[in-house]
Amino acid sequence: MLAILPQLIYTGLGIGAIYALCSLGFVLLIRAANVVNFAQGQFSMLGAYIMLVLLVGVGVPYWAAFLLAVILMAGFGVVFAGAVYWPLRHRSQLAVIISTIGASILLPNVVLATYGPSPATVPGLFANPGFMVGPIFVDTQYLSVMVITVAMVVLQYVIFEKTLLGKKLQATSQDKEMASMLGISVAAMVLITFAYSAILGALAGVLVAPILFVSVGMGGTLALKAFAANIIGGYGNIPGAILGGLIIGLAETLGAAYISTPYKDAFGFLILLLVLLVRPRGLFGELIAEKA
Amino acid sequence: MSLLAIEGLHARYNAGEVLHGLDITVEEGEIVALLGANGAGKTTTLRAISGLLSHVSGKIDFAGETMLGKGPGAIVRAGIAHVPEGRRVFPGLTVRENILLGASNRPTLKRAAREQEMEAMLEHFPDLRRMQNALGWTLSGGQQQMLALARGLMATPKLLLLDEPSLGLAPLIVQQVFRIIAEIRKRGTTVLLVEQNAHMALSVADRGYVLETGRILVSGKPDALWNDPKVRAAYLGGVEA
Ligand SMILES: Nc1ncnc2c1ncn2[C@@H]1O[C@H](COP(=O)(O)OP(=O)(O)OP(=O)(O)O)[C@@H](O)[C@H]1O
Ligand SMILES: [Mg+2]
Repeated sequence: MLAILPQLIYTGLGIGAIYALCSLGFVLLIRAANVVNFAQGQFSMLGAYIMLVLLVGVGVPYWAAFLLAVILMAGFGVVFAGAVYWPLRHRSQLAVIISTIGASILLPNVVLATYGPSPATVPGLFANPGFMVGPIFVDTQYLSVMVITVAMVVLQYVIFEKTLLGKKLQATSQDKEMASMLGISVAAMVLITFAYSAILGALAGVLVAPILFVSVGMGGTLALKAFAANIIGGYGNIPGAILGGLIIGLAETLGAAYISTPYKDAFGFLILLLVLLVRPRGLFGELIAEKA
Repeated sequence: MSLLAIEGLHARYNAGEVLHGLDITVEEGEIVALLGANGAGKTTTLRAISGLLSHVSGKIDFAGETMLGKGPGAIVRAGIAHVPEGRRVFPGLTVRENILLGASNRPTLKRAAREQEMEAMLEHFPDLRRMQNALGWTLSGGQQQMLALARGLMATPKLLLLDEPSLGLAPLIVQQVFRIIAEIRKRGTTVLLVEQNAHMALSVADRGYVLETGRILVSGKPDALWNDPKVRAAYLGGVEA
């Protein structure tokens, strides 16, 4: 049993990286726009379907379909912001939440109506499925997921910490009105955040597509995991969202292998309950409390 | 022509009207004090000028151009910077970053020039220089006020709106703040100063207005205001010079 542990950890981190990407987009919107986006998982679902249609339906080459799906989803993020968030931006947070819940119901049903219910598969990023490194079969798709997740985290760090745009985004997330009084375009900052958040969601979708089936329901599942990751890590905390995603991925994979496969999805939430019992504010929650 | 000319300014929140027709002028180079008790409408007046309120009517002209109906971004680009009540320092950004963002109204400013201006600003605020890499939320009230002033000045405004810069500060720090305000004017920036601390405000101001429940009760030179029995009764009553 222990012999497969390294393999399980590898797989768990790979799945966890997907949750982390999705969770990262979720947290960004909380921080920059105070939007709890219940449709975050639908960004992944739509991204995966766009890729599927481009690849299988239109016949676009693989990498082009991958990139195009992500770029189109960035645009969709802006449209989403305009339709779901912007009209309600001066209303209570609850109004916006309900609006995103509405979108999370509408979007899968639009796909259902246009594409139909049958799940589909998409091939992996690389033709070579993987190679052995010691005891571990390094699946290239999981490897791609991890590399892209790390790249996105680094990119995000650079943007937020090293550029003036990043400072403006942070300022907007901390005090929108004050940011506007300094001449920062809050609307532009919010739209950029939505676009970026949709990119993260779409990346999670197109990366998970070869691993799981592309299905209408995949967005809901991913959103739940991303939300749980965010709570485990500490509500609204960026490193926490990443760590939370990885923890859930590991818990699921290890739980499925060692305890029970049918209950795979339950292990992540079990961890969530445990974390809430021991650290109600999540792993990095205290930091937020201090800052506030 | 006055730098700022306000006529018949009305403003209301959903709960009702709180400014009932104000006339205020500010000449270039002046420090004008806007005084009044809690709830008189001082903050509302400044927020109306800055384009932060949605239900405003009347005339707000700045340097001959109307500001009414413009958004806060356009107004700060026109040259009015607002250092708001409560300082509103960005808590998760460092002192340097807070100051840098003060120049956001000048998008064409090159990076090097921006950094240089920030360094120059830090020269004026030795306290901030010492704390330059500290996050906003770790600063004391006095330091936050200095930071808010520095950030406001980074806009290189023609008119600076200051909302209760002395609130909650120790007397020594209050004096420091007012010294800075006097210095700001000496460097050519016009100031509209909202204060509860009438004594300090009138000591630096050229003229003042006293607001009472959304109306101008009286206006004039500091001496005249200080000795006006109406003002004393309505507002300065308990305060001894
Ligand atoms: N956001 C708001 N919504 C509704 N009413 C408001 C709002 N802000 C202020 N008011 C009301 O408007 C009136 C003027 O308030 P304002 O904040 O302008 O007074 P102020 O002179 O700045 O007082 P203070 O010295 O306490 O800061 C008050 O009666 C206040 O209750
Ligand atoms: Mg006030």
